[in-house]
Amino acid sequence: MIKLHPTQAQLVEFAEGTLSPAMSLVVAAHCDMCQHCQEKLEVINTQLAESSLVYDVSEQELPGGYSEMLSRITSLPASHIDVPAQQHGIIELDGKTFKLPRALHRYVSKTGNWSHLVGKLWQAPVDLGDMGRANFIYMEKGGRVPEHTHKGNEITLVLDGEFSDGISHYDTGDFMIMTEDHVHAPESNASEGCLVFSIVDQPLHFTSGLARLLNPFSQLFF
Amino acid sequence: MLVGIPLEESRSNVTKPKDCADEMAAHLAAVAESRSKTSFAKVFGYFAPRLRSYALKQMGNEALAMELVQDTMSNVWQKAHLFNAEKGSPSTWIFTIARNIRFDMLRKLQNRKEDVCSDDLWPVLCEQTPDANEVSLDEQITLEQVGQLFDVLPDKQRAVIEAIYIDGKSQQEVADELCIPLGTVKSRTRLALQRLKDMLQDYD
Repeated sequence: MIKLHPTQAQLVEFAEGTLSPAMSLVVAAHCDMCQHCQEKLEVINTQLAESSLVYDVSEQELPGGYSEMLSRITSLPASHIDVPAQQHGIIELDGKTFKLPRALHRYVSKTGNWSHLVGKLWQAPVDLGDMGRANFIYMEKGGRVPEHTHKGNEITLVLDGEFSDGISHYDTGDFMIMTEDHVHAPESNASEGCLVFSIVDQPLHFTSGLARLLNPFSQLFF
Repeated sequence: MLVGIPLEESRSNVTKPKDCADEMAAHLAAVAESRSKTSFAKVFGYFAPRLRSYALKQMGNEALAMELVQDTMSNVWQKAHLFNAEKGSPSTWIFTIARNIRFDMLRKLQNRKEDVCSDDLWPVLCEQTPDANEVSLDEQITLEQVGQLFDVLPDKQRAVIEAIYIDGKSQQEVADELCIPLGTVKSRTRLALQRLKDMLQDYD
Protein backbone atom coordinates (compact mmCIF):
# COMPACT_ATOMS: atom_id res chain seq x y z
CA MET A 1 0.00 0.00 0.00
CA ILE A 2 1.25 3.46 -0.87
CA LYS A 3 2.12 5.45 2.23
CA LEU A 4 4.47 8.09 0.89
CA HIS A 5 3.04 10.76 -1.40
CA PRO A 6 4.23 14.09 -2.75
CA THR A 7 3.29 16.94 -0.39
CA GLN A 8 0.26 19.12 -1.08
CA ALA A 9 2.63 21.97 -2.01
CA GLN A 10 4.48 19.73 -4.48
CA LEU A 11 1.19 18.63 -6.05
CA VAL A 12 0.10 22.25 -6.44
CA GLU A 13 3.40 23.22 -8.09
CA PHE A 14 3.13 20.15 -10.30
CA ALA A 15 -0.39 21.16 -11.37
CA GLU A 16 0.74 24.73 -12.02
CA GLY A 17 3.63 23.47 -14.12
CA THR A 18 6.15 25.26 -11.91
CA LEU A 19 7.80 22.21 -10.33
CA SER A 20 11.16 21.30 -11.88
CA PRO A 21 10.82 18.99 -14.90
CA ALA A 22 12.73 16.13 -13.23
CA MET A 23 10.61 16.30 -10.11
CA SER A 24 7.46 16.66 -12.25
CA LEU A 25 8.32 13.47 -14.07
CA VAL A 26 8.53 11.45 -10.86
CA VAL A 27 5.38 13.08 -9.45
CA ALA A 28 3.55 12.30 -12.72
CA ALA A 29 4.68 8.66 -12.56
CA HIS A 30 3.58 8.45 -8.93
CA CYS A 31 0.16 9.88 -9.80
CA ASP A 32 -0.21 7.25 -12.54
CA MET A 33 0.09 4.66 -9.76
CA CYS A 34 -1.83 6.52 -7.05
CA GLN A 35 -5.59 7.05 -7.11
CA HIS A 36 -5.38 9.16 -3.95
CA CYS A 37 -3.09 11.75 -5.56
CA GLN A 38 -5.08 11.70 -8.81
CA GLU A 39 -8.15 12.74 -6.85
CA LYS A 40 -6.21 15.48 -5.07
CA LEU A 41 -4.94 16.72 -8.42
CA GLU A 42 -8.46 17.00 -9.79
CA VAL A 43 -9.41 19.28 -6.91
CA ILE A 44 -6.23 21.33 -7.32
CA ASN A 45 -6.78 21.68 -11.08
CA THR A 46 -10.30 22.95 -10.48
CA GLN A 47 -9.07 25.49 -7.94
CA LEU A 48 -6.24 26.63 -10.20
CA ALA A 49 -8.62 27.02 -13.13
CA GLU A 50 -10.89 29.21 -11.03
CA SER A 51 -8.08 31.40 -9.75
CA SER A 52 -6.20 31.59 -13.07
CA LEU A 53 -8.94 32.11 -15.64
CA VAL A 54 -10.29 35.36 -14.26
CA TYR A 55 -12.00 38.06 -16.18
CA ASP A 56 -10.03 41.28 -16.13
CA VAL A 57 -12.19 44.27 -17.04
CA SER A 58 -9.21 46.21 -18.36
CA GLU A 59 -8.48 43.43 -20.86
CA GLN A 60 -11.94 43.52 -22.34
CA GLU A 61 -10.90 45.25 -25.54
CA LEU A 62 -8.78 42.99 -27.63
CA PRO A 63 -5.82 44.43 -29.45
CA GLY A 64 -5.59 43.09 -32.96
CA GLY A 65 -9.09 41.78 -32.54
CA TYR A 66 -10.12 38.33 -31.43
CA SER A 67 -12.32 37.83 -34.46
CA GLU A 68 -9.33 37.26 -36.70
CA MET A 69 -7.98 34.66 -34.28
CA LEU A 70 -11.39 33.05 -34.06
CA SER A 71 -11.74 32.64 -37.80
CA ARG A 72 -8.18 31.35 -38.09
CA ILE A 73 -8.92 28.67 -35.51
CA THR A 74 -12.25 27.56 -36.94
CA SER A 75 -10.63 27.06 -40.34
CA LEU A 76 -8.50 24.30 -38.81
CA PRO A 77 -9.69 20.74 -39.37
CA ALA A 78 -10.76 18.59 -36.45
CA SER A 79 -8.20 16.03 -35.43
CA HIS A 80 -10.04 12.82 -34.83
CA ILE A 81 -7.30 10.40 -35.67
CA ASP A 82 -4.58 10.37 -33.12
CA VAL A 83 -2.75 7.15 -33.81
CA PRO A 84 -1.28 6.33 -30.42
CA ALA A 85 2.48 6.22 -30.42
CA GLN A 86 3.81 2.70 -30.24
CA GLN A 87 5.38 2.83 -26.82
CA HIS A 88 4.95 -0.37 -24.93
CA GLY A 89 6.34 0.90 -21.64
CA ILE A 90 8.00 -2.34 -20.62
CA ILE A 91 11.54 -2.85 -19.44
CA GLU A 92 13.26 -6.18 -19.01
CA LEU A 93 15.97 -7.52 -16.80
CA ASP A 94 17.18 -11.08 -16.77
CA GLY A 95 13.94 -12.53 -18.10
CA LYS A 96 11.76 -10.44 -15.80
CA THR A 97 9.52 -7.79 -17.34
CA PHE A 98 8.24 -4.67 -15.65
CA LYS A 99 5.34 -2.53 -16.83
CA LEU A 100 6.17 1.10 -16.25
CA PRO A 101 3.74 3.87 -15.30
CA ARG A 102 2.57 5.88 -18.32
CA ALA A 103 4.71 8.95 -17.61
CA LEU A 104 7.88 6.88 -17.98
CA HIS A 105 6.98 5.13 -21.25
CA ARG A 106 8.89 7.62 -23.36
CA TYR A 107 12.08 6.83 -21.48
CA VAL A 108 12.19 3.13 -22.31
CA SER A 109 13.97 4.00 -25.55
CA LYS A 110 16.37 6.26 -23.65
CA THR A 111 17.37 3.59 -21.18
CA GLY A 112 20.87 2.14 -21.47
CA ASN A 113 21.94 -1.43 -20.79
CA TRP A 114 21.75 -2.96 -17.37
CA SER A 115 25.05 -3.18 -15.58
CA HIS A 116 25.76 -5.32 -12.58
CA LEU A 117 26.97 -3.27 -9.65
CA VAL A 118 28.24 -4.53 -6.33
CA GLY A 119 26.36 -7.36 -4.67
CA LYS A 120 22.90 -8.04 -6.01
CA LEU A 121 22.39 -4.63 -7.48
CA TRP A 122 21.63 -3.78 -11.10
CA GLN A 123 21.43 -0.39 -12.70
CA ALA A 124 20.33 0.96 -16.08
CA PRO A 125 20.96 4.64 -16.82
CA VAL A 126 18.23 6.79 -18.37
CA ASP A 127 19.14 9.79 -20.48
CA LEU A 128 16.95 12.70 -19.44
CA GLY A 129 18.83 15.30 -21.50
CA ASP A 130 19.04 18.60 -19.69
CA MET A 131 16.85 17.36 -16.85
CA GLY A 132 19.72 15.27 -15.53
CA ARG A 133 20.44 11.63 -15.24
CA ALA A 134 18.16 9.00 -13.85
CA ASN A 135 18.51 5.29 -13.21
CA PHE A 136 16.38 2.26 -12.97
CA ILE A 137 17.84 0.36 -10.04
CA TYR A 138 16.96 -3.23 -9.34
CA MET A 139 17.80 -4.90 -6.06
CA GLU A 140 17.59 -8.66 -6.02
CA LYS A 141 16.29 -10.21 -2.81
CA GLY A 142 18.91 -9.51 -0.18
CA GLY A 143 20.53 -6.84 -2.33
CA ARG A 144 21.75 -3.71 -0.60
CA VAL A 145 23.42 -0.41 -1.38
CA PRO A 146 26.25 0.56 1.03
CA GLU A 147 25.27 3.23 3.51
CA HIS A 148 25.44 6.63 1.89
CA THR A 149 24.20 10.17 2.00
CA HIS A 150 23.55 12.47 -0.95
CA LYS A 151 25.03 15.61 -2.29
CA GLY A 152 21.87 17.08 -3.69
CA ASN A 153 18.46 15.45 -3.83
CA GLU A 154 17.53 11.91 -4.71
CA ILE A 155 13.94 11.55 -5.89
CA THR A 156 12.82 7.94 -5.93
CA LEU A 157 9.69 6.10 -6.93
CA VAL A 158 9.21 2.42 -6.09
CA LEU A 159 7.95 0.78 -9.29
CA ASP A 160 7.74 -2.83 -8.19
CA GLY A 161 8.39 -4.71 -4.96
CA GLU A 162 9.50 -3.15 -1.70
CA PHE A 163 12.61 -2.25 0.24
CA SER A 164 13.84 -0.85 3.53
CA ASP A 165 16.67 1.55 4.22
CA GLY A 166 17.14 1.71 7.98
CA ILE A 167 14.84 4.75 8.12
CA SER A 168 11.62 3.38 6.75
CA HIS A 169 9.95 0.70 4.71
CA TYR A 170 8.93 1.48 1.16
CA ASP A 171 6.24 -0.20 -0.92
CA THR A 172 5.27 -0.14 -4.60
CA GLY A 173 4.17 3.37 -5.58
CA ASP A 174 5.89 5.14 -2.68
CA PHE A 175 7.41 8.50 -3.54
CA MET A 176 10.36 9.86 -1.59
CA ILE A 177 12.95 12.60 -1.65
CA MET A 178 16.27 12.03 0.06
CA THR A 179 18.40 15.07 0.82
CA GLU A 180 21.88 15.66 2.20
CA ASP A 181 20.42 15.19 5.68
CA HIS A 182 19.57 11.54 5.08
CA VAL A 183 22.06 8.77 5.58
CA HIS A 184 20.58 5.50 4.43
CA ALA A 185 21.41 1.98 3.32
CA PRO A 186 18.68 0.60 1.06
CA GLU A 187 18.08 -3.12 1.23
CA SER A 188 15.52 -5.39 -0.39
CA ASN A 189 14.03 -8.44 1.22
CA ALA A 190 11.02 -8.78 -1.04
CA SER A 191 10.85 -12.22 -2.60
CA GLU A 192 10.87 -10.78 -6.09
CA GLY A 193 13.39 -8.04 -5.44
CA CYS A 194 12.63 -4.41 -5.99
CA LEU A 195 12.71 -2.01 -8.94
CA VAL A 196 12.95 1.73 -8.37
CA PHE A 197 13.26 4.78 -10.62
CA SER A 198 15.59 7.33 -9.17
CA ILE A 199 16.81 10.76 -10.18
CA VAL A 200 19.86 12.10 -8.37
CA ASP A 201 20.91 15.61 -9.14
CA GLN A 202 24.37 15.03 -7.66
CA PRO A 203 26.44 11.93 -6.88
CA LEU A 204 25.98 9.81 -3.79
CA HIS A 205 28.47 10.17 -0.99
CA PHE A 206 29.34 6.96 0.82
CA THR A 207 29.79 7.26 4.55
CA SER A 208 30.69 3.87 5.96
CA GLY A 209 33.65 1.52 6.01
CA LEU A 210 35.15 0.18 2.83
CA ALA A 211 32.31 1.71 0.87
CA ARG A 212 34.09 5.03 1.33
CA LEU A 213 36.53 3.71 -1.24
CA LEU A 214 33.68 3.86 -3.70
CA ASN A 215 33.41 7.63 -3.41
CA PRO A 216 35.72 8.34 -6.34
CA PHE A 217 33.55 6.02 -8.39
CA SER A 218 30.29 7.32 -7.12
CA GLN A 219 29.42 8.63 -10.56
CA LEU A 220 28.59 4.98 -11.21
CA PHE A 221 25.61 5.45 -8.98
CA PHE A 222 24.71 8.81 -10.40
CA MET B 1 -7.38 49.93 -4.92
CA LEU B 2 -4.71 52.15 -6.38
CA VAL B 3 -6.91 53.32 -9.20
CA GLY B 4 -9.96 53.67 -7.02
CA ILE B 5 -11.94 50.85 -8.58
CA PRO B 6 -14.02 49.07 -5.98
CA LEU B 7 -12.91 45.52 -6.48
CA GLU B 8 -15.97 43.81 -5.08
CA GLU B 9 -18.28 45.72 -7.33
CA SER B 10 -16.38 44.95 -10.50
CA ARG B 11 -16.20 41.33 -9.46
CA SER B 12 -19.89 41.03 -8.87
CA ASN B 13 -20.56 41.72 -12.54
CA VAL B 14 -18.34 38.90 -13.61
CA THR B 15 -19.61 35.43 -14.35
CA LYS B 16 -17.39 32.88 -12.70
CA PRO B 17 -16.47 29.77 -14.70
CA LYS B 18 -18.47 27.45 -12.51
CA ASP B 19 -21.62 29.48 -13.04
CA CYS B 20 -21.73 28.66 -16.71
CA ALA B 21 -20.07 25.24 -16.73
CA ASP B 22 -23.15 23.45 -18.05
CA GLU B 23 -23.66 25.96 -20.83
CA MET B 24 -20.01 25.75 -21.91
CA ALA B 25 -20.06 21.95 -21.70
CA ALA B 26 -23.05 21.90 -24.04
CA HIS B 27 -21.22 24.16 -26.49
CA LEU B 28 -18.15 21.91 -26.40
CA ALA B 29 -20.36 18.91 -27.15
CA ALA B 30 -21.81 20.76 -30.14
CA VAL B 31 -18.31 21.52 -31.40
CA ALA B 32 -17.31 17.87 -31.00
CA GLU B 33 -20.43 16.50 -32.69
CA SER B 34 -21.16 18.95 -35.45
CA ARG B 35 -18.19 21.32 -35.65
CA SER B 36 -20.55 24.11 -34.67
CA LYS B 37 -18.78 27.41 -35.23
CA THR B 38 -21.52 29.25 -33.38
CA SER B 39 -20.94 27.16 -30.27
CA PHE B 40 -17.20 27.50 -30.57
CA ALA B 41 -17.57 31.27 -30.83
CA LYS B 42 -19.40 31.24 -27.47
CA VAL B 43 -16.66 29.18 -25.85
CA PHE B 44 -14.02 31.37 -27.43
CA GLY B 45 -15.77 34.60 -26.40
CA TYR B 46 -15.92 33.45 -22.82
CA PHE B 47 -12.50 31.86 -22.43
CA ALA B 48 -10.17 33.78 -24.74
CA PRO B 49 -10.06 36.95 -22.59
CA ARG B 50 -9.64 34.87 -19.44
CA LEU B 51 -6.86 32.86 -21.03
CA ARG B 52 -5.22 36.10 -22.11
CA SER B 53 -5.21 37.34 -18.53
CA TYR B 54 -3.55 34.07 -17.42
CA ALA B 55 -1.16 34.10 -20.37
CA LEU B 56 -0.02 37.68 -19.81
CA LYS B 57 0.88 36.87 -16.21
CA GLN B 58 2.67 33.68 -17.20
CA MET B 59 4.50 34.83 -20.31
CA GLY B 60 4.91 38.52 -19.50
CA ASN B 61 4.83 39.40 -23.18
CA GLU B 62 1.92 40.28 -25.43
CA ALA B 63 3.01 38.23 -28.45
CA LEU B 64 3.73 35.07 -26.45
CA ALA B 65 0.54 35.52 -24.48
CA MET B 66 -1.51 35.66 -27.66
CA GLU B 67 0.31 32.60 -29.01
CA LEU B 68 -0.62 30.75 -25.82
CA VAL B 69 -4.26 31.82 -26.17
CA GLN B 70 -4.39 30.83 -29.81
CA ASP B 71 -2.74 27.42 -29.31
CA THR B 72 -4.99 26.65 -26.38
CA MET B 73 -8.18 27.58 -28.21
CA SER B 74 -7.00 25.74 -31.35
CA ASN B 75 -6.72 22.58 -29.28
CA VAL B 76 -10.17 23.18 -27.85
CA TRP B 77 -11.55 23.47 -31.39
CA GLN B 78 -9.71 20.48 -32.76
CA LYS B 79 -9.98 18.16 -29.80
CA ALA B 80 -13.35 19.05 -28.31
CA HIS B 81 -14.25 15.35 -28.53
CA LEU B 82 -11.72 14.67 -25.76
CA PHE B 83 -13.60 16.81 -23.27
CA ASN B 84 -15.44 14.66 -20.76
CA ALA B 85 -17.96 16.53 -18.63
CA GLU B 86 -17.94 13.70 -16.10
CA LYS B 87 -14.28 14.26 -15.36
CA GLY B 88 -14.40 17.99 -14.78
CA SER B 89 -15.67 21.38 -15.86
CA PRO B 90 -14.85 23.06 -19.17
CA SER B 91 -12.78 25.67 -17.37
CA THR B 92 -10.65 23.03 -15.64
CA TRP B 93 -10.11 21.21 -18.93
CA ILE B 94 -9.17 24.40 -20.77
CA PHE B 95 -6.89 25.52 -17.94
CA THR B 96 -5.00 22.22 -18.07
CA ILE B 97 -4.57 22.56 -21.84
CA ALA B 98 -3.18 26.08 -21.37
CA ARG B 99 -0.90 24.88 -18.56
CA ASN B 100 0.49 22.17 -20.85
CA ILE B 101 1.08 24.56 -23.72
CA ARG B 102 2.71 27.06 -21.39
CA PHE B 103 5.08 24.34 -20.15
CA ASP B 104 6.11 23.36 -23.69
CA MET B 105 6.47 27.00 -24.78
CA LEU B 106 8.73 27.85 -21.85
CA ARG B 107 10.90 24.77 -22.43
CA LYS B 108 11.22 25.77 -26.07
CA LEU B 109 12.09 29.36 -25.18
CA GLN B 110 14.85 28.08 -22.91
CA ASN B 111 16.17 26.09 -25.86
CA ARG B 112 15.63 22.92 -23.92
CA LYS B 113 15.55 19.79 -25.95
CA GLU B 114 12.21 18.10 -25.79
CA ASP B 115 13.34 15.50 -23.30
CA VAL B 116 10.08 15.88 -21.54
CA CYS B 117 6.85 17.15 -22.99
CA SER B 118 3.64 18.12 -21.31
CA ASP B 119 1.78 15.09 -22.65
CA ASP B 120 4.03 12.83 -20.58
CA LEU B 121 3.38 14.77 -17.40
CA TRP B 122 -0.28 15.59 -17.86
CA PRO B 123 -2.14 13.40 -20.38
CA VAL B 124 -4.88 15.97 -20.97
CA LEU B 125 -5.06 15.53 -24.72
CA CYS B 126 -4.25 11.85 -25.08
CA GLU B 127 -6.77 9.66 -26.82
CA GLN B 128 -5.80 6.74 -24.65
CA THR B 129 -6.85 6.54 -21.06
CA PRO B 130 -3.98 5.60 -18.73
CA ASP B 131 -5.44 2.12 -18.22
CA ALA B 132 -6.02 1.33 -21.87
CA ASN B 133 -2.68 -0.32 -22.40
CA GLU B 134 -4.10 -3.43 -23.93
CA VAL B 135 -4.70 -3.03 -27.65
CA SER B 136 -8.09 -4.48 -28.54
CA LEU B 137 -8.62 -6.68 -31.56
CA ASP B 138 -10.53 -3.91 -33.30
CA GLU B 139 -7.68 -1.51 -32.79
CA GLN B 140 -5.15 -4.03 -34.06
CA ILE B 141 -7.07 -4.38 -37.28
CA THR B 142 -7.31 -0.64 -37.56
CA LEU B 143 -3.59 -0.23 -36.97
CA GLU B 144 -2.93 -2.86 -39.61
CA GLN B 145 -5.14 -0.98 -42.03
CA VAL B 146 -3.39 2.23 -41.19
CA GLY B 147 -0.08 0.46 -41.85
CA GLN B 148 -1.21 -0.45 -45.36
CA LEU B 149 -2.53 3.01 -46.00
CA PHE B 150 0.78 4.43 -44.83
CA ASP B 151 2.42 3.24 -48.02
CA VAL B 152 0.09 5.39 -50.06
CA LEU B 153 1.20 8.59 -48.36
CA PRO B 154 3.71 10.83 -50.12
CA ASP B 155 7.26 10.03 -48.95
CA LYS B 156 7.72 13.31 -47.10
CA GLN B 157 4.49 12.93 -45.13
CA ARG B 158 5.16 9.28 -44.38
CA ALA B 159 8.62 10.06 -42.99
CA VAL B 160 7.17 12.61 -40.59
CA ILE B 161 4.33 10.33 -39.46
CA GLU B 162 6.65 7.38 -38.91
CA ALA B 163 9.09 9.45 -36.89
CA ILE B 164 6.35 10.85 -34.67
CA TYR B 165 3.92 7.97 -34.27
CA ILE B 166 6.19 4.96 -34.55
CA ASP B 167 9.52 6.18 -33.23
CA GLY B 168 7.76 8.41 -30.71
CA LYS B 169 9.80 11.51 -31.57
CA SER B 170 8.59 15.01 -30.92
CA GLN B 171 7.74 17.34 -33.77
CA GLN B 172 10.74 19.49 -32.85
CA GLU B 173 13.09 16.50 -33.02
CA VAL B 174 11.76 15.60 -36.44
CA ALA B 175 12.23 19.18 -37.62
CA ASP B 176 15.83 19.18 -36.39
CA GLU B 177 16.64 15.83 -37.99
CA LEU B 178 15.14 16.66 -41.35
CA CYS B 179 16.42 20.25 -41.22
CA ILE B 180 12.98 21.65 -41.97
CA PRO B 181 10.98 24.26 -40.05
CA LEU B 182 8.72 23.09 -37.23
CA GLY B 183 5.75 24.58 -39.08
CA THR B 184 6.45 22.31 -42.04
CA VAL B 185 6.50 19.26 -39.77
CA LYS B 186 3.20 20.35 -38.28
CA SER B 187 1.56 20.91 -41.64
CA ARG B 188 2.86 17.60 -43.03
CA THR B 189 1.54 15.82 -39.95
CA ARG B 190 -1.82 17.49 -40.31
CA LEU B 191 -2.07 16.77 -44.03
CA ALA B 192 -1.01 13.17 -43.59
CA LEU B 193 -3.46 12.55 -40.74
CA GLN B 194 -6.25 14.15 -42.71
CA ARG B 195 -5.38 11.97 -45.67
CA LEU B 196 -5.25 8.83 -43.55
CA LYS B 197 -8.60 9.76 -42.08
CA ASP B 198 -10.14 10.25 -45.51
CA MET B 199 -8.70 6.95 -46.68
CA LEU B 200 -10.00 5.13 -43.60
CA GLN B 201 -13.47 6.50 -44.23
CA ASP B 202 -13.31 5.29 -47.82
CA TYR B 203 -12.09 1.94 -46.51
CA ASP B 204 -15.19 1.56 -44.38
